[in-house]
Amino acid sequence: MLTQQILDGLSKFYPETILSVTILVIVFVELFFKKKTRVSGWIAMAGLAAAMLFTFLQVNIPAQTIFFQMVAVDPFSYFFKVLLILSGFLIVLFTFLSDEIRSSEFKTQEYYALLIALTLGGFLMASSVNLLMMYLALELSSLSSYVLAGYFKKSNRSSEAALKYVIYGGVSSGLMLFGISLIYGICGSLDMFAISAYLSANPVNLITLLIAIFLMLAGFGYKISAVPFHFWTPDVYEGSPMPVTALLSVSSKAAGFAMLIRFFLVAFQNAGHPTITTEGLHQYITLPGLHWPEVIAVIAVATMTLGNVVAIWQDNLKRLLAYSSIAQAGYMLLAFVVVSPQGISAMLTYLAVYLFMNLGAFFAAILISNKYKTENIEEMKGIGYRSPLLCVSMAVFMLSLSGIPMTAGFIGKFYIFSALINNGYIWLAIIGLMNSVVSLYYYIKILKNMFLIRPQGDTGAVSFGAGYSVLLLALAIPTIVLGIFFGPLTKFAEYSVQIFGLK
Amino acid sequence: MLPNWLARPALAGLGLSPGYSFILYLALIFNHNLNFLQFTFENILILFFSLLAVFGALMMVTRKNPITSALYLILNFFCVSAIYLLLRAQFIAIIQVLVYAGAIMVLFLFVIMLLNLHDESKLSEKITYKKLSAILISLLLFSVLAITVYFSYMNKYREIHSSAETIGTIEVIGNELYTTFSFPFELVSFVLLAAIVGAIVLAKKKFD
Amino acid sequence: MITELIITSTIKITLVIIVILTGVAYSVYAERRISALIQNRIGPNRVGPAGLLQPIADVLKLLLKEDIVPAKATKPIHTLAPMISIFVALCTIAVVPFGDSIHLFSRDIRLQIADVNIGILYILALTSLGVYGITLSGWSSNNKYSLFGGLRSSAQMISYELSMGLSVVGVILMTGSLSLQDIVLHQFGWKWNIILQPIGFITFLVAAFAETNRAPFDLPEAEPELVGGYHTEYSSMKFALFFLAEYANMIVSSTVIVTLFLGGWQFPYLQTFGLPPLVVSLLQVFTFVIKVVAMIVFFIWVRWSIPRFRYDQLMNLGWKVMLPLALANIVITALLIAIFRS
Repeated sequence: MLTQQILDGLSKFYPETILSVTILVIVFVELFFKKKTRVSGWIAMAGLAAAMLFTFLQVNIPAQTIFFQMVAVDPFSYFFKVLLILSGFLIVLFTFLSDEIRSSEFKTQEYYALLIALTLGGFLMASSVNLLMMYLALELSSLSSYVLAGYFKKSNRSSEAALKYVIYGGVSSGLMLFGISLIYGICGSLDMFAISAYLSANPVNLITLLIAIFLMLAGFGYKISAVPFHFWTPDVYEGSPMPVTALLSVSSKAAGFAMLIRFFLVAFQNAGHPTITTEGLHQYITLPGLHWPEVIAVIAVATMTLGNVVAIWQDNLKRLLAYSSIAQAGYMLLAFVVVSPQGISAMLTYLAVYLFMNLGAFFAAILISNKYKTENIEEMKGIGYRSPLLCVSMAVFMLSLSGIPMTAGFIGKFYIFSALINNGYIWLAIIGLMNSVVSLYYYIKILKNMFLIRPQGDTGAVSFGAGYSVLLLALAIPTIVLGIFFGPLTKFAEYSVQIFGLK
Repeated sequence: MLPNWLARPALAGLGLSPGYSFILYLALIFNHNLNFLQFTFENILILFFSLLAVFGALMMVTRKNPITSALYLILNFFCVSAIYLLLRAQFIAIIQVLVYAGAIMVLFLFVIMLLNLHDESKLSEKITYKKLSAILISLLLFSVLAITVYFSYMNKYREIHSSAETIGTIEVIGNELYTTFSFPFELVSFVLLAAIVGAIVLAKKKFD
Repeated sequence: MITELIITSTIKITLVIIVILTGVAYSVYAERRISALIQNRIGPNRVGPAGLLQPIADVLKLLLKEDIVPAKATKPIHTLAPMISIFVALCTIAVVPFGDSIHLFSRDIRLQIADVNIGILYILALTSLGVYGITLSGWSSNNKYSLFGGLRSSAQMISYELSMGLSVVGVILMTGSLSLQDIVLHQFGWKWNIILQPIGFITFLVAAFAETNRAPFDLPEAEPELVGGYHTEYSSMKFALFFLAEYANMIVSSTVIVTLFLGGWQFPYLQTFGLPPLVVSLLQVFTFVIKVVAMIVFFIWVRWSIPRFRYDQLMNLGWKVMLPLALANIVITALLIAIFRS
């Protein structure tokens, strides 16, 4: 019986198992190589590819939980698994192509092992339905990212980034644990479904519950860098190796969102009440009296406004992208305020789009720093004339991030704002739109420096190898194509809204 | 002060007496047929250890010398462990001592000693607005938590549940760990693996 | 009921502590005599017949010495450190059974102070605290030799705690209980754990030597390098407490080793001989004492036969030999149990 259940669970757990084995293989294999090689990178790729394959096999699996209600296998987690593997894959390629990492004297097997560990943590964050599992998955991905952020020990900036990240991470996960303990004390269970059942059936002190929610939000907010918990973001993004920054801005953010959505929707739904569907509006029923959507709305507005306003003053491209990613998290949180499948699917669409445009922007930044040895925007004057392909792609990413029509970013924002307006949150939509306008300023500033000012001094063309161009195009083309031909993506997002245990 | 000739035996006695009373305390706690004491003896002990724990925590925060702070923190751990013991959570109690007091704090002390903080006055600042606001915030947090915990737990956990005796034992915990929580248990090993790999990456001087 | 418990416990504690303190005194004497024997000297033989009153003279001397605290020492911690040492050394004995149970005054008295059902963890927890006494004394003395001694001992004890804890796991797997009384009961007849768990015994023994800071692991007080190590700046009764703690640790470790691996109070097949119960109980206690004494003699013998390790050798032994051995032992034991039980 016991063994049966575990074996049954394992048969639905192949992607994660493959990732775990990959970690172990990477740690062992490169012990046998004296010189610096790329072997572990290739192993990581192979592992990710195999995990991808087995994830695809899960596409039509019915939503269920495995391992004694610890982990859910459902379309929602499937979506995030695909997203995380895709981003992991791209990050491995970035690492291959980054001069920063190639020139360091360190061997990279631990780097890849930790990268896979972070991806594994993200997988579990997206699929755990037990608060204990949630915390452990969060710790797995956090611990790996602390070390990745400080991977260049000789660089003071990298060490500073790692230290700041550890301290903020430690405090916020501590707060989250405190929140978990309060919820456990109230409900007597760590299982999200049991929590929801208890809260629907018994009167509880709402103040305590709200405080617990705030404390839990510290953990989530830190992962997605939402406003009161965003302080680490600029420094860590600036100091970490560039591929790691890209990873933090996409993988760990996506996993954080997954955990946030699942926790709030499943644990605080009004179990026992059927879903109300009026006028074609399908909405999740949350616990009466518990105003967490309002709390999220405030956080979302603060996050995007702060991100956009502060980004205006930044000269360093990495810092600018850091604030931009804070602002993007704000947009995505907006979609969550609408507690409906429409909102969630808008958010998932945005996340998928964000993967391409943000990773693309970071890859362009990596290439710029490879070739021009600078991260300062003021020093990028006229490079549009020297490496046109790179800068045109950068322009695509920037325009997409700001949400100009005909790019993928527009589609993402369009779905979010239409979800808001459909559900009567017009004021939120207006604030979001105003923020988009503000953000346009700093995205365009980069483009202005690249294209509108003639280069001084050296004006020779700077070209890249074929591999760089292919990867750049592989990111830029989806960013445009998804802006025009977005049907499959939104279908996929709508399908992925099925969260286990949610009526 | 005591005369010198009396001071030394007194000192020796002082050194012995905590151990003596501790063993006595253990002997009392671990004989399970003490239920009729629940409302007097145990509650007094819980109160005593709680107060001592708070005292230790306060002293830990306010001391200037980092070693003294660390020692008060250990005192705090002990009191918490004693409270666990009184709540029949023997395994957690022992692990609290074994892991926190026995391993983590030793490393703390080790690091403090290696850092060799000669001028301790450098560590402590005057009372600034920063410090004041920190105190205010922590007081606020404390009162909010105290109120919430009081209101939502007041009637919930009045006395030790009858099943507490069996729940806290290592057999039950082991059973749970290898059945219901087998998956998180395995996951912990991966978390630790990532931590170990990370620690080696950061601590190793040169990769060769 | 409760008063009876308090009274019996108090009597037991008092008796055990008296026995241990006397034991300490006489193991010091034994150490000096045996070392003399090994080194072809005579040893203390002046005070009393064959020098048997020597320990009393020593104690009197230490009591009457002047207590000196270095001017720049951190005084409260300097005083606290020896107390911690002796506290840890004496408290460990609380869970060690020195006999089954004895029928006296028309009631059954268990020959154990507290039958804690997680006895082994309790012992490990207290052992892990032992490092504080030494580390703090080293730091608070404000003396470089003391500090070195303290640092060495904390590194050493943390390193060996791991293999100590892991080597016990084999025994726990065999017994299926963490209670020391159960472990002893399980070693009935020939089934002593030293026979069933040889690797576990060796790793535990080595770790116990390291934990008690006895030679060949006495680096924290290595005389040629560190003067007196952590207790360089101690004198009088405080020094005596350290001295007491060292020997009490040795005795307590011996009792633990005997309990875990050498059958505790079990005399092979004694229960089947059909002797009167009281005699059986007394014989069991006697067996226990004999085993412990043998173990103490072994401790002393090793100290005077094997030279001290170098620091890197100590660390290599701990991390690269003992830890893998203990881990391998767990795997093998678990496999064998899985095979033979099913």
